[in-house]
Amino acid sequence: MLNDFQGDMLWSEIEEVVGQKNVSTLAADRLVYSTDWSWIPQMWLDRGIQPPAADFVVHPGSAQEISAILKIANSYRIPVVPWGGGSGTQGGAIPTYGGILLDLKRLNDIIEINEDSLYVTAQAGVNGSQLEWALNEKNLTLPHYPASANCATLGGYLAPRGSGTISTKYGKAEDLVMSMEVVLPDSTIIRTPPVPSHAAGPDFMRLFLGSEGTLGVITEVTMQIERLPEVRLLRAMLFKDITTGLEAGRRMMVQRLNPLVIRMYDPSSTGSLVKEVLGYELQGAYMIIGFDGWEEIALAQEKRALAICKELGAQDLGREAGERWWNHRYDFYYPPWGLHLPYLYGTVETISVFDKIEQLYHAKKEALEKTFEDWDLSYIGHFSHWFPWGASLYDRFIVKDPPQDPHEALKLHNRIWAVAVRTSLKNGGMLNEHHGIGLKLSRFMRAQYGPAWQLLETIKHAIDPHGIMNPGKVGFGRGPGD
Amino acid sequence: MTKRGASVDRSFRGEIARYIKDPISTTEHCRYSLMCRHVCPVGNITHSETLTPHGWALVVASVKRGLLAWDEESVDILYKCADCGLCQSHCGTNQPLPTAIAAARAEVVEQGLAPPQVLAIDKALQKWANPYAKRAPRKVKVKGVIGLYVGDAAQYLHPSTLEAALKLLEAMGVNPVLVGVGCSNGFLASSLGLAATATQLATAILGEVVKADCGKLLVMSPGDLYAFRTLYIERLNLTWPLEVEVVEATSFLYNAFKNGKLSLNRQNATPSYAYHDPCHSPRVRREYEAPRQLLSTVLGTAPLDLFWREQRAHPCGAVGGLEFTQPELATQLAEARFADTHRAGASLLITEDPLCLNQLKKHASFGIAVKGLYETLAEGINE
Ligand SMILES: Cc1cc2nc3c(=O)[nH]c(=O)nc-3n(C[C@H](O)[C@H](O)[C@H](O)COP(=O)(O)OP(=O)(O)OC[C@H]3O[C@@H](n4cnc5c(N)ncnc54)[C@H](O)[C@@H]3O)c2cc1C
Ligand code: SF4
Ligand code: SF4
Repeated sequence: MLNDFQGDMLWSEIEEVVGQKNVSTLAADRLVYSTDWSWIPQMWLDRGIQPPAADFVVHPGSAQEISAILKIANSYRIPVVPWGGGSGTQGGAIPTYGGILLDLKRLNDIIEINEDSLYVTAQAGVNGSQLEWALNEKNLTLPHYPASANCATLGGYLAPRGSGTISTKYGKAEDLVMSMEVVLPDSTIIRTPPVPSHAAGPDFMRLFLGSEGTLGVITEVTMQIERLPEVRLLRAMLFKDITTGLEAGRRMMVQRLNPLVIRMYDPSSTGSLVKEVLGYELQGAYMIIGFDGWEEIALAQEKRALAICKELGAQDLGREAGERWWNHRYDFYYPPWGLHLPYLYGTVETISVFDKIEQLYHAKKEALEKTFEDWDLSYIGHFSHWFPWGASLYDRFIVKDPPQDPHEALKLHNRIWAVAVRTSLKNGGMLNEHHGIGLKLSRFMRAQYGPAWQLLETIKHAIDPHGIMNPGKVGFGRGPGD
Repeated sequence: MTKRGASVDRSFRGEIARYIKDPISTTEHCRYSLMCRHVCPVGNITHSETLTPHGWALVVASVKRGLLAWDEESVDILYKCADCGLCQSHCGTNQPLPTAIAAARAEVVEQGLAPPQVLAIDKALQKWANPYAKRAPRKVKVKGVIGLYVGDAAQYLHPSTLEAALKLLEAMGVNPVLVGVGCSNGFLASSLGLAATATQLATAILGEVVKADCGKLLVMSPGDLYAFRTLYIERLNLTWPLEVEVVEATSFLYNAFKNGKLSLNRQNATPSYAYHDPCHSPRVRREYEAPRQLLSTVLGTAPLDLFWREQRAHPCGAVGGLEFTQPELATQLAEARFADTHRAGASLLITEDPLCLNQLKKHASFGIAVKGLYETLAEGINE
């Protein structure tokens, strides 16, 4: 905690770097930046409690300015928390221990769109949808389509290792990165090699993917892009249960049909979310399949996929039902359709191999619904990001009537998460597939990694000896001096 | 399968009654929704999380919870929203956030905490029905089939817009009744939280419209269209006479042109130009093609595309009273329009709204000239 004198001195130093209008201590700014899209700070604010806030909200305009700010933070030993769009669900961008909050949205230049080698170089604070519009003007696309594109930044896509709607064909955000510029905690500005595939020693670029601001600040990124496809063919299928649906998805993946998307809603979400948002009243597991690219190839891939679905007894709901989902796929996140307060809720998503994923789903459903029966917890899920070896389970819990006392509500929230996470780990799942660790899952990193965790801690300490970068996140310490 | 797809109510019309009764309740939805921030012009220019739709909603919701208080700082933040409507028009569930912000401002006004500029405008509006000139509005005296709403900006700030629009209409044999000459339609007052004044001005306009007895009222900007079609009912609970159709003059002219009732000459040697969709364009279902096609005819080439155009068109700063309450922000918004025009490679920026023209001419940069759309078209009339 800074005393007034230190605070004033620090203010002056920051102001000299970024200019007066780019540093704020306004009460409203400190409040707004005290919550990202995670439930805990939102619930606190909802109940009239101010979560921990930053001492300074700073808007740097370049990597050099960030470097200078990190130098100052090291000398004062105060935390620095990078903030992209604040759309993270894990509390990664919240300033748990105060200090400097670095809002990166001024770094929003699109530096180069290369139409020969198909890449885009942009600053890390560029907004996802704005970047996409700029690419679309040239008939190009960045094939990372998260539901948060309207609010997230390019740096925020990578720092928590996000996945988008079409990751099944084009990969996760991290699979599209070619190179990055990063400001290290000691203020050095580094660049990774210009291409992602080489054999010039270990690939240190990947260290920053998933580091969530704990190992440095990503300031510029080069991403692979694609030409907009000639066609996008969407279709909806109805399976009688998730067993047959999962098997259909598995066959499509292992037979390398290269689907753009496979998304299967479990019967609970088919009966609730799909009904509410899309207006279809269905019983069973609603599945979207999609193929894109050259029409004749996409049609051939789709034909094969339809044959697989038919073999497994699925009902073909046709294109309209698939296209409707595609056109409204982000509507699931607009209020009042998205999960919202005063409910207690969480997305406890995970990923595993095909031979474990169904068991994982049943185990989590049972563990959560049984353990929290008294709270009338409900559990829903869908399977959305597919690989040739497995799929992700995007599952959620909802408690509609949580405790009124915010401290009790928080404890219940944490207990539910603990059960969900332990059940995932016990059944061959991971802490998650694409939302990152943040504050919420920080305490489970040792359980996830076992003895290997020590390696990550050693790296963290070597790169950030004073522990200034985003303390308390991704399992690392509480902050300077910890 | 039971398909209810087509009947899903995405606008939550059922909730509109609630919003009218308690508009601020929308902020409860918006405070944690980040889904429209990519289009918010103020957030885009300031890069501040607080100055985004969810930021304003969270501030309002936090005042309700006693976490923040309305004071000089927070009221200043509240008055930074441009009331441009982009958030609502990009909202999957049509949440009327700009109306909620206007309602929060009305509370601030009621508590005597409004910025002094707002009170000064209120006085001017009450006395002169406009904030630009110390002159009373002219009352409508005649009746006619077609009316033209003049308002205050075309009367006092950019009269050549009105002259040119009248010349174009005359060329097709239309002599409209002039309605609301020198009288604000109440939009500015509503944006600033001056609910009573807004109602007073809107009621006066409605009286004029009834007196003019026209079946069609032409408006020279999307802002006017929005005020009459939506704002009156959504914010002021006033009903627009259903028998009076409100039409943008650009659409009216374009139809006439397509039907051969208006002929336009092509001009020589036109510099590369871009078209600014006037403030509020995204919030009305406007015919984006109409002004573009008319300009293409007269100037011989299509306008160059701005990045912020059509459904995502950003305002030029002459919006939400920012020129009065937040002049620096209003200037930044205007400058951003010129930066966009410059990136597009144009040396001329054309638009029709007199308020936009006044604002853009004041802040022209990069050597870009500004010209009125009606003025440009009027030069191409076949005499
Ligand atoms: C409506 C909605 C839908 C979502 N859907 C998806 C989805 O489909 N797929 C998905 O993957 N996620 C999704 N998310 C989660 C979230 O949006 C993503 O994780 C997103 O990529 C975060 O980006 P951001 O810029 O908002 O980052 P923030 O929330 O600001 O930050 C996230 C973390 O990254 C760090 N960070 C941010 N920028 C940098 C940087 N430049 N350098 C270093 N560290 C940085 C922060 O410190 C923090 O730890 C969704 C969120 C919302 C609100
Ligand atoms: S207007 Fe809609 S998209 Fe914008 S913040 Fe509100 S709910 Fe979200
Ligand atoms: S009305 Fe305009 S400025 Fe205000 S929140 Fe909505 S988009 Fe932003």
